[in-house]
Amino acid sequence: MSGIVLQGIRRSFGNTHAVKETDFTFPDGSVTCLLGPSGCGKTTLMRMIAGLERPSAGRILFDGCDVTAWPARRRDVAMVFQYPVMYRTLTVEQNIALALDNARVPRTERRTRIEAVIDVMQLGDCRRLGIDALDIGTRQRVAVARAIARDCAVILFDEPTTNIEMHAKLQLIRAFKQYRSRLRETITPQTVIYVTHDQTEAMTLADRIALMRDGAIAQCADPRTLYDRPDSEFGGWFIGNPGMNFLAGRADAPGRVAFDCLPVSLAAPGGEIDGLRLGVRPERVIVGPAGCGGVPGRVLRRTLTVGGQALLLLEVGQSTMRARMSAGTIFDPGEAVSVHCSPDHIVLFRNGSRLSMSSETIEAA
Amino acid sequence: METATATRAPPSWATRLAALLQRRSVLPTLLLIPVLVFFIIWNTMPTLWLLGLSFYRFSLTSGRPPRFTGFGNFQSILQDSEVWLALSRTFLFVFSAVGIETVLGLLLGLLFWGSQRLPGRRVALTMLFTPMVLTPVAAGTFWRLIYDPTFGVLNAALRGIGLPSVNFLGNARTAFGAVLAVDVWMWTPFMVLMTLAALASVPKAELEAAEIDRLSWLQRLRLVILHHGKFILLLGILLRTIDAFKTMDLIYDMTFGGPGSTTELVAIMLYRRAFEVFAMGWSSALAVILLLISIAFTATFIFVLHARERRSQDVPT
Repeated sequence: MSGIVLQGIRRSFGNTHAVKETDFTFPDGSVTCLLGPSGCGKTTLMRMIAGLERPSAGRILFDGCDVTAWPARRRDVAMVFQYPVMYRTLTVEQNIALALDNARVPRTERRTRIEAVIDVMQLGDCRRLGIDALDIGTRQRVAVARAIARDCAVILFDEPTTNIEMHAKLQLIRAFKQYRSRLRETITPQTVIYVTHDQTEAMTLADRIALMRDGAIAQCADPRTLYDRPDSEFGGWFIGNPGMNFLAGRADAPGRVAFDCLPVSLAAPGGEIDGLRLGVRPERVIVGPAGCGGVPGRVLRRTLTVGGQALLLLEVGQSTMRARMSAGTIFDPGEAVSVHCSPDHIVLFRNGSRLSMSSETIEAA
Repeated sequence: METATATRAPPSWATRLAALLQRRSVLPTLLLIPVLVFFIIWNTMPTLWLLGLSFYRFSLTSGRPPRFTGFGNFQSILQDSEVWLALSRTFLFVFSAVGIETVLGLLLGLLFWGSQRLPGRRVALTMLFTPMVLTPVAAGTFWRLIYDPTFGVLNAALRGIGLPSVNFLGNARTAFGAVLAVDVWMWTPFMVLMTLAALASVPKAELEAAEIDRLSWLQRLRLVILHHGKFILLLGILLRTIDAFKTMDLIYDMTFGGPGSTTELVAIMLYRRAFEVFAMGWSSALAVILLLISIAFTATFIFVLHARERRSQDVPT
């Protein structure tokens, strides 16, 4: 299969455009996460791919074939829902086998596949149990097992970890990653589309992340690029916890812009200063004792986060910004510090969109 | 200290009432009292009266005072072949009517459910539910006229296609089927309603999963729809069973239990013995037996309903 192609796809409910006109390609065998805040249209987009929602306009191509008008059962897709969807009168094994029976998989191959997914999803202990005897996390693993056993060209995950507790969530993610690495050898690589609003999950699982906002795909890139070089201020703000720091630029000399966190001014791209903002991730802000170079600043507040890391709210010039520190370094509120931001880790935005930084700009810094 | 004790006023009646109402058991009990009073006056007392009367030989026409006979009335009922015939006729009526209504209701319900975007669906549903809201006496009169061998539209239609007239309600062979058909016409909409309610209780995601998993129509019905909707469907079947068991007015209006006793269900027999023969003790005993049969239906329903829950609890871990 050569992937899924969306051509001018759109879905409207009355005057509300859940998904605006979108052109996009999900490459064959890739894991793409649709990430975005609630109500951004990611689930609607996935449901259109599954055949559960009819697009208002546009075409959906599977392997070059137009499947827009096809019902879900005719498309070669499997899906895992937000709530574990099970056939409650059947056992775990029967649930997995049912999908294979209906896909008319030969008996010997069926057995092999069932054993493989039961093994990879760690369901050996409960294979003969009824669904009512399982906790919600295990049920979701059964749902995933049922989906991957079918060996469809496309597997869709609609926020499968939203309703399960943390331990079960990690177990599920681990099992999913194991499936990707182990079953890749025996089963044809499947195109996976994974809808989530959990950025950590997206960063962990995806080959590519399509960041959605207001019914449109704002950016699609590999997790590292999306994190380090977001195309928009929205991407910088939405991804990361806390999101990127944004500092407004001010004119320093003709054609040059200064930012409070940098000791020197930069050549303003295009000579224009209006609407320029600098973005830098909190963990890329280096905080040291006062007088160690960089720019002078002051700690306004300190918060301890998971793992004993400290999050500092800093006052730098007329701006405030956050810095993430390792557990060992402690600065108290009110303490004077010096702040360093490497030019390699800063991103410039004009009116919310990222500017490509020229070597001249970086050297000038 | 003494001054403080002397000036403390005793709590007012309003404060004491508020404190009393705040106690966990007082307010719920107070709220239950009107319902309990109503239940005792209109339900418990007549039932106890009926139960008491069933142990007496008491006829309103004999002029003699009630005489205690113990289980005499029950013994007489059990030895009465007419009662057994009426009971068997009633069971045949109940199982046929409820069976046909359930199957038809399920099929029509599925059709209506699957045609949600069809124009005119609401009008069709309203028309379908009309028989259910008619009073049985009105429906009985209406159908008696339809079945009439001389003036009825059904016979006119038969004559129109060259067939002879049939005295549907006057012929012993056709009377039972004719009244059964009216009951089916009247109460199938109820089962359609219960089917639609059952279908509405099925989670959308499960139906979508069934579609994606390529489940056949029968698998969907068995594994998804009936699994979720069975409680409502069984409730509908139970209500219809109890109601059909009590059918009296519809048939009484159409055939008076005849011709002969071919349509005399046990409720009609009870009415006749109580209000035409005035054998109050005997009729009370029969009413008690019918009550026990209704309780047996309900108990069976509850047992069937909870059987799966018990099974799932017994799953070895």
